[in-house]
Amino acid sequence: MSDPAPRDEDDEELIMHLQRDQLVAATFLPVAPAQLDRRALLGLWALRVFAVVVSAMVIYTFIVRLH
Amino acid sequence: MSAREAASPLLGQPRLTDEDNARSLDRSRVHQARGQHRRWRLLWLLVGPGILAMLGENDGPSMIAYASDGAQYGIGFFVPLIPILFMMAFVVQEMCMRVGAVTHRGYGELVLQRYGRLWGWFGAGDLTLTNLITLIAEFVAIRVGLAYFHLGAGVAVALGLALVLFTLSGGRYWRWERTVLGLALFNGLFLLAAILVKPDLGALASSLSFTPLPQGSLNTLLLLLASTIGATVTPWMIFFQQSASADKGMTPADVGHGRYDTGLGAVMAAVFGIGALVAGAALMHHGGGIQGFAGAGFPAALSRVSGGAVGTAFALGLIEAGAVAILTISASTAYAAGECIGVSHSFNTSPRNAAVFYAANVGVAVIAAVVILIPGAPLLSIALNANVLATVLLPVSLVFVLMLASDRELMGRWANRRSTNALGVLVVVFVGLCGSAYGIDSFLQSVHVIGGP
Repeated sequence: MSDPAPRDEDDEELIMHLQRDQLVAATFLPVAPAQLDRRALLGLWALRVFAVVVSAMVIYTFIVRLH
Repeated sequence: MSAREAASPLLGQPRLTDEDNARSLDRSRVHQARGQHRRWRLLWLLVGPGILAMLGENDGPSMIAYASDGAQYGIGFFVPLIPILFMMAFVVQEMCMRVGAVTHRGYGELVLQRYGRLWGWFGAGDLTLTNLITLIAEFVAIRVGLAYFHLGAGVAVALGLALVLFTLSGGRYWRWERTVLGLALFNGLFLLAAILVKPDLGALASSLSFTPLPQGSLNTLLLLLASTIGATVTPWMIFFQQSASADKGMTPADVGHGRYDTGLGAVMAAVFGIGALVAGAALMHHGGGIQGFAGAGFPAALSRVSGGAVGTAFALGLIEAGAVAILTISASTAYAAGECIGVSHSFNTSPRNAAVFYAANVGVAVIAAVVILIPGAPLLSIALNANVLATVLLPVSLVFVLMLASDRELMGRWANRRSTNALGVLVVVFVGLCGSAYGIDSFLQSVHVIGGP
């Protein structure tokens, strides 16, 4: 069965049948770090505190229940 | 291939790897089906990660939990609750699929690169720990199913590990996905079990009004609600669907079909989950109270009350649920390991070129298998704690899913719209609060600040 010309909605350049940014070589290039505003940074710090506190609770509970 | 070796060719003509060739072959079928307007063929080619994530979450412990809910509380309240929970799971998983299709990258690597190594490794560490514990529970579920056929733990271990090795042997994502998908369809055995118990259709219809509410204190109800929610969305599903969507080669053009895939998975998971609940409810007036993994004799109890066919369907269903979850959860661990270390992480790469990916995939399953063979290991405690561990840190994973999906710099026009964001925030807050409440409540009980339910 013949393979018609590849079509993608975005009409991006295709290499074989893959988009350029889909190639292994491209996916190994890191994306830029996010530029977060002050509110987002505060939110992430709150999340960090939450994660540490709750992790400690979970580990404690887990150990207690193991016994 | 190292990241540095792979990156340099981009400056000129890109160097194609075996992984590119394999993915290109899969994509050629998609382009062909799309070009020829073969809608069903296109759907067939593009379904997979969504159904696997949803049916993978209908794992051994979840199905035993649904059946236990039915045995203890009846079908009221839970029948309408389960579809609502899977709708929430759809909202989260659709975002994961979309981010994977647009960025062609997994959750672990995106969090690590976009928000820093600390969060990336935190997510991977959290995932590995909870996956390991959940995998132990999956092997226990297989053991429970096999016990009905008078087979022991050794057979459960051999079966689980043989499946992991068999599905990895093809060296292709497509083959892995189709094998696991074929196996996952047997989750329908729980629906068969429900039909065989001949449920009262009138009671089923009236349960849609969320009544009768489960008996017990508000605390009991809250815990029940939180644990059920926590069993519907888990960190491994997030890692798995985003990474599998990228590994499958999905692109923004496939997002529509990705939604069908995720929606279909949610519907199937909800229906089969209700099946387990209805089957379990047959035990309600026959010495119910069988809870969680204490219900090791569930298939045998169903066999006594509703007939051998029901017991057999339920036992086989448990074996399937545990087996599929072992495959998908191991895969999510492998994706996370490869992404965070920065090495090849694809089923389309050979084991020689993706040693970390394959070693993590097999290794985590082997460790879990070894634990269930240890005589006197506290399996019940480990299994019951699996949900606590998974749900309590879930809010962290959910926040990053929402951040990634609404990141315009990363997602462009595929970023969350305001309405999607509002819905996403609602789900994240609700699931996060319930999950945290469950974890905090467990902690407070363990330090005897509050009494148990």
